[in-house]
Amino acid sequence: MSEHTLDPAAAAPAAVPADASSVRSARDWTIAAVAAVIALLALWAVFFDNGQAIAATGDYLHEFSHDGRHLFGAPCH
Amino acid sequence: MTTSAPSPVLPLLARGLAAGGSAGLLSGLFALLVAGPLMDRAIALEEEREHTGQALALAASLAHGETEVFSRGTQHFGLVVTAVVTGLALGVFFGIAYALLHRRTALSGGDHWMRALTLAGAGFLALSLLPGLRYPASPPGVGDSGTVGDRQLLWLTAMFLGAAGTAAAWRLHRTLAAAGRPAPVRHSAVALVLLATLTVLFLLPPNPDPVRVPAELLWDFRLLSLAGHAVLWAALGAVFGWLGLRYDPAAGRGTFAAAARPAG
Repeated sequence: MSEHTLDPAAAAPAAVPADASSVRSARDWTIAAVAAVIALLALWAVFFDNGQAIAATGDYLHEFSHDGRHLFGAPCH
Repeated sequence: MTTSAPSPVLPLLARGLAAGGSAGLLSGLFALLVAGPLMDRAIALEEEREHTGQALALAASLAHGETEVFSRGTQHFGLVVTAVVTGLALGVFFGIAYALLHRRTALSGGDHWMRALTLAGAGFLALSLLPGLRYPASPPGVGDSGTVGDRQLLWLTAMFLGAAGTAAAWRLHRTLAAAGRPAPVRHSAVALVLLATLTVLFLLPPNPDPVRVPAELLWDFRLLSLAGHAVLWAALGAVFGWLGLRYDPAAGRGTFAAAARPAG
């Protein structure tokens, strides 16, 4: 047994005030929102792009994900 | 309790990414092995159709520069990559939805296995089955590039309606359960909402493109497409639930508190 107290209330970071936790919570939800936007962009690139994303190089994204589009039921040419 | 539990969303986001990535890989390999040969056959038929057409059509396609951007091998690899990207993206939404649905008990104090499977089932219903019944997948060779914009809008609308209908059914079930209604009442209510959603979906205009592939190939392809969706959602729910069972909230909190605790 340790000589330190095992009382969780004493061991816990009591110095963290409530507003610090709400700041951390806001930060975490912001990260989640950014991740959701990136996920939407990725889905758009894979399933909805018809050559707009890399216009200079042609239909690369569309052709690369061609089989996946058909298989997941996305509209394709 | 003066201590603050860590916000549940980041661990759930990580769990969603892990579950989604592995589910995407699994469904991609499933699709490659099972549906890949079917797609190759559809493409061979399409080329055959083009080449046995009039010389005029052949000349037009040559003038049009119908050289393929990627080989079939690269497109096979692209299929797996597409599935993994899809899985990762759905995993992000899955983790966020899980955090929102089970705010206080998202990390501990719930049946994570059943919850994850239930949410995966709802996701399959909302984004795969309901839209897929209205606009079933079609193999390569079907699809007019002139109508692709319209079809994308219809597909997006169908997924939105599927998600809205499933969310409404979920909510209604929760409300009825809170009011103490018995299971047959709750389940009938859910069935009615889903039936109404399906009715609305069939009020949307039909897919305008003609289908010129053999019926047998079309049927097999559509069935395998739906199976690929099912594999993705089932694996996503199962891996997410399994990671939920393994997650130790004490250890999770411990890593957060370690910095504030004197090293001993």
